[in-house]
Amino acid sequence: MSEALALLRRSLPAGVATHFGADTAFIPWAYQGALLAEFAHSRGLAAQEWLAPLGITAGQLLTPRQLLTMLAALQTHARDVGFVLGQLSLPGHFGLASQALQQAGDLRQALQVLCAYAARLSPLLTPRLLETEEELLLIWTEACGAPAPLQPLLVDMQMSAVIAMAQWLGGRPLRCRLSFNRTRPRELSQHAAYLGTDLQFGCQVDAMRLPLAEALRPWPAAQRPAAMARNALAQGADPQALWRGQLAVLYDHLVSQLGEPATLEGSARRFQVSPATLKRQLAQLGTHYQAQLDQVRAHAALYLMSLQGQRGEAVARSLGFHDKSNFRRSFRRWTGMTPGML
Amino acid sequence: MKLALPRPPLVLAPVAGSRHFGHALLLLMCGITWLFAHWAVAKPLALWRWIDILSESLVVAMLGLWLVQLRTSRPGGRVTTWLCLGLAGMLLGGWADLMDEFWKLPRDYALLLGMESSLHLAGMVGLTWGLHLWRQEQLALNALRGGRERGYREHDQIDRLTQLGDGAYLLDQLRWQQRRGEPATVVMLGWADLPALSRQQGLAETDRLLQATGPVLLLQLRPGDLLCRYAADRFVALLPRADRALPDDLLAALQAHVHPCADGQTRARLQARMVQAPLDPVLDAESQLLRLVEQLR
Repeated sequence: MSEALALLRRSLPAGVATHFGADTAFIPWAYQGALLAEFAHSRGLAAQEWLAPLGITAGQLLTPRQLLTMLAALQTHARDVGFVLGQLSLPGHFGLASQALQQAGDLRQALQVLCAYAARLSPLLTPRLLETEEELLLIWTEACGAPAPLQPLLVDMQMSAVIAMAQWLGGRPLRCRLSFNRTRPRELSQHAAYLGTDLQFGCQVDAMRLPLAEALRPWPAAQRPAAMARNALAQGADPQALWRGQLAVLYDHLVSQLGEPATLEGSARRFQVSPATLKRQLAQLGTHYQAQLDQVRAHAALYLMSLQGQRGEAVARSLGFHDKSNFRRSFRRWTGMTPGML
Repeated sequence: MKLALPRPPLVLAPVAGSRHFGHALLLLMCGITWLFAHWAVAKPLALWRWIDILSESLVVAMLGLWLVQLRTSRPGGRVTTWLCLGLAGMLLGGWADLMDEFWKLPRDYALLLGMESSLHLAGMVGLTWGLHLWRQEQLALNALRGGRERGYREHDQIDRLTQLGDGAYLLDQLRWQQRRGEPATVVMLGWADLPALSRQQGLAETDRLLQATGPVLLLQLRPGDLLCRYAADRFVALLPRADRALPDDLLAALQAHVHPCADGQTRARLQARMVQAPLDPVLDAESQLLRLVEQLR
C-alpha cells in the first residue's frame, strides 16, 4: 500500500461507527431544530405557518429527512437561508461537541473535533480532514443523502459555518480556497460576501483548502486550556456524536478497501445486511453502489494526483488498476477529464 | 432522496367585497346552459364541429385560469373587482359561445342571440376600465420603489428582507450603466461585526438592523441613484455622476445610526465601513464588485 493512500486512510474514524439513515430520529430539537426555528422566527414565520404543514411539531426528535424538509421549506421563503444559518451554526449549542469546539486551541483542533463528532455538529453533510505537509483540506461528502437541489445549500451552509466559526473563535477572517462540485452560479454575490472571493466552480469535490500555518495559529481560547468536553467525548459521554450517516460509512469502507477489488457483497457485510437490502437502502437515499464507488475512487485519484503529485501509473497501481489505459478510461467516466488535464 | 413539501393554500381575493364571486359565476354559467337547454333546439351529433368546440372550451378554460391567477395574486379592491368583472364577462360570453355549438337558437329569440356578443363586449369594457385603474395604482406604487429600482423590474431579483434589488439586479444595472457609457461611482457599504450581533442578540435583531439600513441610505440618495443589497451586510449604491462628497455622506449616515435592540435596553452602535471605486466602462462588472468585496473584508 502506498504512503499517500495511508495518509488518506488516516482521515477515517477509528473503530466501527454506528450508522444512521435518512429516517433515524436522533437529532434533538434543541440542536439543529432550534437553529432553524430561530431563523424562521427572525423572518416572521409562525410555527403553524411553516412547521404544521410539514407535520412536524416543535420539540420532537428529528430525522435527517425531516431536517432537510424543514430546510427546503425555509428556502422557499428566503434564498439566503444556507449562508445565514451557517454563520450561526458553529460552534453552536449542540452539547459537549460544541463545547469541545469552543475549547479548541486552534483551527486544526477545531476541525478534528468537527470531523470526529459530525453527527452532532454537521449531521447532514460529513466533513473529512486531510493533511499534507503544508496545507489542510476539508472535504464535504454526503452523510445520508440529500435531494440534488438541496445539496448546494448544504455545502454553502457548512462552508460558511466553518468560516464564521474561525472568525468568531479565532478573531480574524479565515482566508481559504474553496472548490465547488457544481457549475458556476449566474452571479456570486452571496458566495463572495459570506465565503470570500477565492472560489472555484466546476470542481469534482466540495472542499476547503487552507494553509497549515494558518490552522496552527493559536486561538484566544488556547490561553485558557480546557479539556473537559474533549475528554468526556473521548470517554463516550455522547455515543450518538460518533454516529455516521450511511453514505459516510460506505465511503469510509470503500476508502479502506481502495486498491483491492471492491464488491457490493463486501460492503453489505460491513452493514450486516444482504446485498439486495443494501441496494434498496441506497436507492432510498437516492444513489446506488457504483456511483458511490466511482466517487470514492475519483476523490482518491484526484487527491493522489493533485495533492501528492503522483503520476498516472502510480495512481492506477494504488487504486488497483492493472493497466494505465483502463484507469484513464475510468477516470474519464468519473470526472469527464483525462488525468493529463490536471 | 425525495422530499414531500406541501403546497401553499390558494387564497382568493374577494371581488366587490364578496367571497362568493366564483360561486356566482358558476351559477350564471349554469343559468346560460339552462337558457339554451330550455329555449334552443339540440344539434344532432353529426353537426357538432369538434374544432370549434375544442377552441372555444380552451378559451373558457384560459379565462377561468386567468381569473384564479388574478384573485390569488392581488389584494381585494376596486382594481381587482373591475379586472375580475371584465374577465368574468368575457368568460360568460365564451361559455355562451360554447353552448351555441351544442344547441341551435331559433331565429326569433333576438335577446338570446345577442347574449354572446353583448357579454363579451361588456367584459372587454370592464377589463379596459380595470386596466386603466391598474395603471394609476401602479404609478402610485412605483413611487414607493424609487431608489430601489431604475427603469427595470425583475421580481426574482428583489431581496425579500430589505425590499431592495439583490446582487443579480445590481449586476444587470451595472452592465447597463457600462453600456450607456455614463460615468458613475460604485459605493459598497457594510457593517463590521454583524455576525457578532446575531450571536449576541439573535438573528431577528440582525434582520431588523438590515431592514433599517436600507431606508437610512435611501434618504441620502438623489433621484436616479440606485441602492441594492449585494449580500449579507453589504449594500451597494450606484451613483451616476456623483460628486466626491456623496459616498462620505452615505458612510456618515450609517455611522450615525444607533440600533435600538428589541430588548429595550441595548442600543447597538456598530462600525460602518465603506469602499468606493469609479465604474470602469470596460472591465467585467462582476470582477469589479468582487474587488470591492475583497477590499471591505
